[in-house]
Amino acid sequence: MHIYRKPGFARLLAVLAVLALVATACGEDAEETPTTAAPAPETTAAPEATTDEEMPEEEMEEEMPMEPLRIAVVAPSASNDLAFTQSIVDAVNVIAAEHPGTDVAITDGTFIVEDAAAAIRGYAEEGYDLVIAHGSQYGGSLQEIAADYPDIAFAWGTAADTFGLPNVSAYTAASDEGGYVMGVMAAALTDSSVIGVVGPIEVGDAKLYVDGFHNGAIANGAGTVNINYIGSFSDVALASEAAQAHIASGADVLTGSAQMVVGAVGVAQGAGALWFGTQANQTALAPDLVVASQVYKWEVVLREIISDLASGQMGGEAYEIDLANGGLVIEYNDGFDLPADVRAAADNTVAGIIAGSINTMEAMMTPMEPLRIAVVAPSASNDLAFTQSIVDAVNVIVAEHPGTEVAITDGTFIVEDAAAAIRGYAEEGYDLVIAHGSQYGGSLQEIAADYPDIAFAWGTAADTFGLPNVSAYTAASDEGGYVMGVAAALMSQSGVIGVVGPIEVGDAKLYVDGFHNGAVATRGDVTVNINYIGSFSDVALASEAAQAHVASGADVLTGSAQMVVGAVGVAQANGVFWFGTQANQTALAPDLVVASQVYKWEVVLRQIIADISAGSLGGNAYEINLGNGGLVLEPNPAFDIPAAMMEQMGTVIQGIVEGTIDTGAN
Amino acid sequence: MADIFSGVVIVATLSSGIRLAVPLLLASLGEAFGQRSGVLNLGVDGIMLLGAFGGYYTTLKTQSPWVGLAVGLAIGLFLGLLSSVVSVSLLAEQGISGIGVYLFGLGMSDLLFQRLVGTPLPVPSFQKAPIPLLSDIPVVGDLIFNHSIPIYLAFLAIPVCTYIINRTRFGMNIRAVGENPEAADSQGISVTRVRYAAVTIGGVLAGAAGAVLAIGLGIFQQNLTNAQGFIAIALVYFGAWRPIGVMAGSLVYGMVSAVVLLLKTRGIIPLGASDLAAMIPAVITVLALVVAARRFRAPTALTKPFIRGG
Repeated sequence: MHIYRKPGFARLLAVLAVLALVATACGEDAEETPTTAAPAPETTAAPEATTDEEMPEEEMEEEMPMEPLRIAVVAPSASNDLAFTQSIVDAVNVIAAEHPGTDVAITDGTFIVEDAAAAIRGYAEEGYDLVIAHGSQYGGSLQEIAADYPDIAFAWGTAADTFGLPNVSAYTAASDEGGYVMGVMAAALTDSSVIGVVGPIEVGDAKLYVDGFHNGAIANGAGTVNINYIGSFSDVALASEAAQAHIASGADVLTGSAQMVVGAVGVAQGAGALWFGTQANQTALAPDLVVASQVYKWEVVLREIISDLASGQMGGEAYEIDLANGGLVIEYNDGFDLPADVRAAADNTVAGIIAGSINTMEAMMTPMEPLRIAVVAPSASNDLAFTQSIVDAVNVIVAEHPGTEVAITDGTFIVEDAAAAIRGYAEEGYDLVIAHGSQYGGSLQEIAADYPDIAFAWGTAADTFGLPNVSAYTAASDEGGYVMGVAAALMSQSGVIGVVGPIEVGDAKLYVDGFHNGAVATRGDVTVNINYIGSFSDVALASEAAQAHVASGADVLTGSAQMVVGAVGVAQANGVFWFGTQANQTALAPDLVVASQVYKWEVVLRQIIADISAGSLGGNAYEINLGNGGLVLEPNPAFDIPAAMMEQMGTVIQGIVEGTIDTGAN
Repeated sequence: MADIFSGVVIVATLSSGIRLAVPLLLASLGEAFGQRSGVLNLGVDGIMLLGAFGGYYTTLKTQSPWVGLAVGLAIGLFLGLLSSVVSVSLLAEQGISGIGVYLFGLGMSDLLFQRLVGTPLPVPSFQKAPIPLLSDIPVVGDLIFNHSIPIYLAFLAIPVCTYIINRTRFGMNIRAVGENPEAADSQGISVTRVRYAAVTIGGVLAGAAGAVLAIGLGIFQQNLTNAQGFIAIALVYFGAWRPIGVMAGSLVYGMVSAVVLLLKTRGIIPLGASDLAAMIPAVITVLALVVAARRFRAPTALTKPFIRGG
């Protein structure tokens, strides 16, 4: 029958201890002696579970003729803090259950080290068999006190140092292991790819937990793990604000270590963010949102320390709880519906850590570290054309590599402005600076030479200037253009098709040439009128060019570059069909856009990023085309394209991909 | 190619020229008022851009091009007043302050567009309003009497402006403060008030020019005007500060642009000459107006702030 004391002052505990001893003594009438009392409860129904789980109990009781132990615990926060102090209190209670008659005294809430030192010294003075100083911060005091009481066994945690004293045991938790498992789950459960961590001070098991969590999350694809050490083990309000800051930064999964995190769990509850607990089972703090808790089972080390004591060894050893020895246990919240695959991933991670195949202190990098990508482009990011195509692609890359930081300078029609932006990004150390405009080539050539450690990409272009840190990318827009030309020729009733181009260069020229050739190859009697208006930006002129086409009998129009928004409006107003390129232009004329050739620059960006990961900053020229999926024809779902025409377009695409059709553009 | 001189194509091309000319016409008519009063407002393009965005955005939200046009006018009014304060009351260097207004309009219209709209969305344009009977006249009817109401109004503004400037006391005062503000002042004319009025009229017409451009196109984009405001300022010089002159300049510019487009469309101007051809409207307009306007001179007090007794 153990004596079990909850919080209070040492003196009060002593009084209670006396009372309890009296009570035990009274019980002797019925149950002989305290030592032999152990088997007695087994005859009752209640301790059945204990019998199953703690089979060594009887053996231990019989093999180790231990006297009832007197164990004292000094801990910094409350015994029921659902964290650090509770973990040791729970463990001592387990020991007391295993060793009935154990006398336990607890002094909790000793944030102040001097108070703790007084309590430790007091217990030593009172002759407790084992005095547990449960706080890294008590080390200095303990070292002095333990030397003064060589006959008393002390335990200090979480720490790995016994000060070389024969009567001090140290214990620590490999909390990085459970942290890593939690990180794996957190990465799987986050929608925003942002995870927040609230830490106390960057020491001890808190640091281990945070490091393990971070590494587990990053190794499993989490984008951003924001870590905030608030500088205190006790400031609940600050922990709460730290959690608020994480939520404001987009975090939808939070975790934290040490007793002040109760404030943070409340914030998670309020914001509907998921929470991973550690040290104790924190489900009670947010029953719907705690996914799992890493629970410390200090009883694993306490058993070993007690076993040492029984064999006459007062200390000198350092112990650790970890996943393998059962001292760390992942306890799942039954009230949280954890997807089976996430649970399986967690179980596999636990197995991997125990087997040694996973190193929790190493963030197993996905092929790349979070990249910083900068884009400089001539028109607006949502121009439904050239600039939007690269912005969309970069966003795809971000979705694939959460944590990627993107900076965009758009609207730099003026090359000098673009050059300044490119140089600025290089100066800021961006990993990849994309100069998205043929016209930026001259500037880029100078800038790239000045920053040999920065990777640059230039498009649409095929020339890397022979520089090892410049990649070039271009679009075989003649391919989609050719397919569109075929379709346009089939659709035209009048046999006249109009093309609005900007200036006869780059991918605009390729598109126009391909379109022309496709149309002419399909119908010998078709007339393709091509009008390069001489500007990439003059919307009014593009509109009038389209009017001129319509006046000339065109009933199908197309055009390339950002000024065509004006031309699409004309198509809409006159009821003529429109074929788009660079981006999906259906929104501009929902009834009359037949299809758009959409640029998927992410295809080349992936290659460039793979190069960077492999240590190559450039030197290659890449292309998007129909074959590699970088060019995609997106039909307007609202437009009823005849099946025969769809089929013919499919045949043409296949022919281009296989090389049996030459677009004739160069 | 044989049908290039067919009625349909000629009408379409000349109509195209008129549409291209109207924003220039409105903006340069307004600028003519200011310059006749002695104030050069280089911010026309900025006012046009904000009027264009305001008109476009209002039309997008209300689906009414007329409400959009009204908002464009109101924005022009406000910016015209603002320009007056800077140029007339604060006596700012006109060339510099106008550039400031231009840059403000360029940046602000784009910022508002990005924040409030983002991806360009089409808006309803002005409906064509054929004038009964007159529009039935072959060729000419379709060319002149089959446009939207703002286009009629723009051309109607020419005789109105001519009348105001030449035949009214207000117009006389404008000319007086533009030629000799000291003399006008001595006659009891408030130079400040007259210049405020003239510059504000210019702002209203520039706002209208922008709104008509954007709503006419049914779309907005960054830098939609593509520097038409500056072309309008040049047209005021070449149009000799007279409404009829700026009309002529606007129409020549618009018509030449339309014809060049037609010639390119039909392949008469070869693809290789496209870029060169883009300069033709400007070259021809300049040549035409320089020849025509040789005998006129600029208002004497143009660009000179008026300081009483100064």
